[in-house]
Amino acid sequence: MEQKVICGIEGVGIYGVISILICFTFFTGTFLWVVSLKKNYLKHMEDLPLDGSEKNSTDKNQPTTL
Amino acid sequence: MNVETFKYDNRIVRAFAIATVVWGIVGMLVGLLAAVQLFFPDANLNLQFITFGRIRPLHTNAVIFAFVGNGMFMGIYYSLQRLCKARMFSDFISWFHFWGWQSIIVSAALTLPLGFTTSKEYAELEWPIKIAIAVVWVAFTVNLIGTILKRREKHMYVAIWFYLATALTVAVLHVTNSMTMPAGWFKSYSMYAGVQDALVQWWYGHNAVAFFLTTPYLGLMYYFLPKAANRPVFSYRLSIIHFWGLIFLYIWAGPHHLLYTALPDWAQSLGMVFSLMLIAPSWGGMLNGLLTLRGVWDKVRQDPVLKFMVVAVTAYGMATLEGPVMAIKTVNSLSHYTDWTIAHAHSGALGWNGFLTFSMLYFLYPRLYKTQLWSTKLANYHFWIGLLGIMFYIIPIYVAGITEGLMWKQFNKDGFLQYPNFLETIVQIVPMLRLRAIGGTLYLVGVFMMAYNLYRTAKAGEFEPDTEVQAAPLEKTVSSGAHGKLSWHRMLEGKPMIFTVLAVVAILIGGIVEIIPMYLVKENVPTIASVHPYTPLEVLGRDVYIREGCLGCHSQMIRPFRSETERYGEYSKAGEFVYDHPFLWGSERKGPDLAREGGRYPDAWHYNHMDDPRSTSPGSIMPRYPWLLTQKMEMDSLPWRLSALRRIGVPYPAGYENGPAQKDLQAQAEKIVANLKLGSVNAEPDKDIVALIAYLQRLGTDIKNAPVTTAAK
Ligand code: HEC
Repeated sequence: MEQKVICGIEGVGIYGVISILICFTFFTGTFLWVVSLKKNYLKHMEDLPLDGSEKNSTDKNQPTTL
Repeated sequence: MNVETFKYDNRIVRAFAIATVVWGIVGMLVGLLAAVQLFFPDANLNLQFITFGRIRPLHTNAVIFAFVGNGMFMGIYYSLQRLCKARMFSDFISWFHFWGWQSIIVSAALTLPLGFTTSKEYAELEWPIKIAIAVVWVAFTVNLIGTILKRREKHMYVAIWFYLATALTVAVLHVTNSMTMPAGWFKSYSMYAGVQDALVQWWYGHNAVAFFLTTPYLGLMYYFLPKAANRPVFSYRLSIIHFWGLIFLYIWAGPHHLLYTALPDWAQSLGMVFSLMLIAPSWGGMLNGLLTLRGVWDKVRQDPVLKFMVVAVTAYGMATLEGPVMAIKTVNSLSHYTDWTIAHAHSGALGWNGFLTFSMLYFLYPRLYKTQLWSTKLANYHFWIGLLGIMFYIIPIYVAGITEGLMWKQFNKDGFLQYPNFLETIVQIVPMLRLRAIGGTLYLVGVFMMAYNLYRTAKAGEFEPDTEVQAAPLEKTVSSGAHGKLSWHRMLEGKPMIFTVLAVVAILIGGIVEIIPMYLVKENVPTIASVHPYTPLEVLGRDVYIREGCLGCHSQMIRPFRSETERYGEYSKAGEFVYDHPFLWGSERKGPDLAREGGRYPDAWHYNHMDDPRSTSPGSIMPRYPWLLTQKMEMDSLPWRLSALRRIGVPYPAGYENGPAQKDLQAQAEKIVANLKLGSVNAEPDKDIVALIAYLQRLGTDIKNAPVTTAAK
């Protein structure tokens, strides 16, 4: 019975194809973007959460040991 | 360069931290009470308000939205200010958010025990509270975006992306799944019915796990883990892929909660494929977290904060591997409806969310109070007892789940079910349910130890309400930066708005591909001529079923396996549910499926069974419902209910609710009372139990007389 329900939708097969295409495009895009990122940009980003990066700020509230 | 001096708001962080601990204890206590009732039903003290069906949603809501919710806000309010080098956008909104959220939790804690529930999992709260949630959530989102806009750091660290995606997606999910027609102040019916309702609900339910329990916590992981280890994240590139991969793929995977149900095959397959693809970004994220600790493992051994984090991230990896495996149809045919699902949920909740929350609390308290943690030793004890608790919780419940699944499917050599009596399969796992409760107790003891430790830490230190810092403001114009032309990714995360739009597009694509066909399907579900709307008495009975949370233990969805059709009867068809607002398929079987319950027992059997299940089924773990025998049914609100249902498409004739409905109800109730008399039960026709019996006797009977199709698929 489910088969009948689905066949009732015009061209349901297209959903599978579209899904795969969207996904493929999406991940290729993301991958290319990530590969293109510059080293010093990445370094800057990685350091953001760490105390050392807060060059301009004096966060007095950060004991170094727990 | 001019430097600005400003203050981080620590008060709001502390408020959310306290709320996290308090609600964590409450939520887990309620969970423990529910767990105990599963082997000792009388633990409800015969009070309807704390009976399993009503407190199960209280437990899930408390743990998800109160414990993890407050934990999330605590971490976000702390890290966002520091990552943006800015105070929160508005102190007023911060406190509006805080008190709004707490009042929503309190109203949930009041209404769910009273039986005000939509029955949709993790979305049980009734419509006035739903509106409040939307308002408070919008406030949070405004505060979040406002802070991002006034930031003094040009770039948005990946944690912020996770926070933003959380805020936006939860809003979309909440609104879509809350489409409901009020029928009084604390009663409403889902706009969607049957298959459609199920699909929307699990699209929501799945993504609530994704975007409430996972993405915000991943953001927190990307901030607090490097911070606690004092090392940069292993690979920032990987974290970007983790983010986009996760938010893009997660949305598609919802239908894996509905495998082998009356949901169309293509949607099931889509859900399965995307679930498997999810392993990649999830494991990328886990490895990224664990590899951040390379070279500092000696530190992990000493520092409880890092210890908790390691287990949390590992649990994230385990749960995100297990989830996709459970989405494989053959595995799912065994695991669905069993305790395996509960085990899976708790490896995520106790391991990932719980332990990460604890690590943040241990990290934050000494900093907020400018002191050392009161006792590292006690925190280490907490770690070990918590870990032991997880083991004692999860291992028995896995065994229970697999045992149930196998027993349900077992045929003897003559081709009959080996365990035709469902109760046998429950009795078999009761020892496991006991062990599970011990595991939960251990975990909870650990939380009490933490609460004490944090309290002593606070006592010993001095709270710093504001942290004064300095930073240069962001240049107003987008300068071309150090390297000449801006590359487009820099533009992208330099501009939160563009980012926001892209993230929304990413999540909507999956949502739309899934949801649009459902609207098409609606017109294509073949109406089964013999399926009629529920009678007024049955509507009230169904509402009793919803109020008491029977679907916490009973499914109403027979899957097309011989082991199920043999046990329960003809498998469920999409067309049977067209008037089910909301759908009541359930997700867990601690009792038999009820989709074909109608006509199986005489009315009097149900009466006695509801009064005391152990009188008809010795050893049953079903709670007693004696109050249904004495409480009057909700006649007054019947007109509201019927007209609300008509407004969303159930074809009751106009004016039916003003007179004819009451007459029909009377007649049907009298008939049941007469039937009960035959079974030597004296009942009055205006009691809840009569309505419930009418509903139970109706279940699945619509197509019983229709020609039988073959069961095997
Ligand atoms: C804690 C789990 C639990 C809850 C909650 C629960 N039940 Fe049950 N139910 C069971 C178990 C276990 C059985 C099988 C043993 C028995 O007959 O009592 C059962 C059996 C039944 C049966 C008989 C099914 C059959 O075909 O043999 C009916 C009908 C039923 N329950 C209705 C309800 C209703 C209505 C509610 C809500 C008011 C409810 N149950 C709540 C666990 C539960």
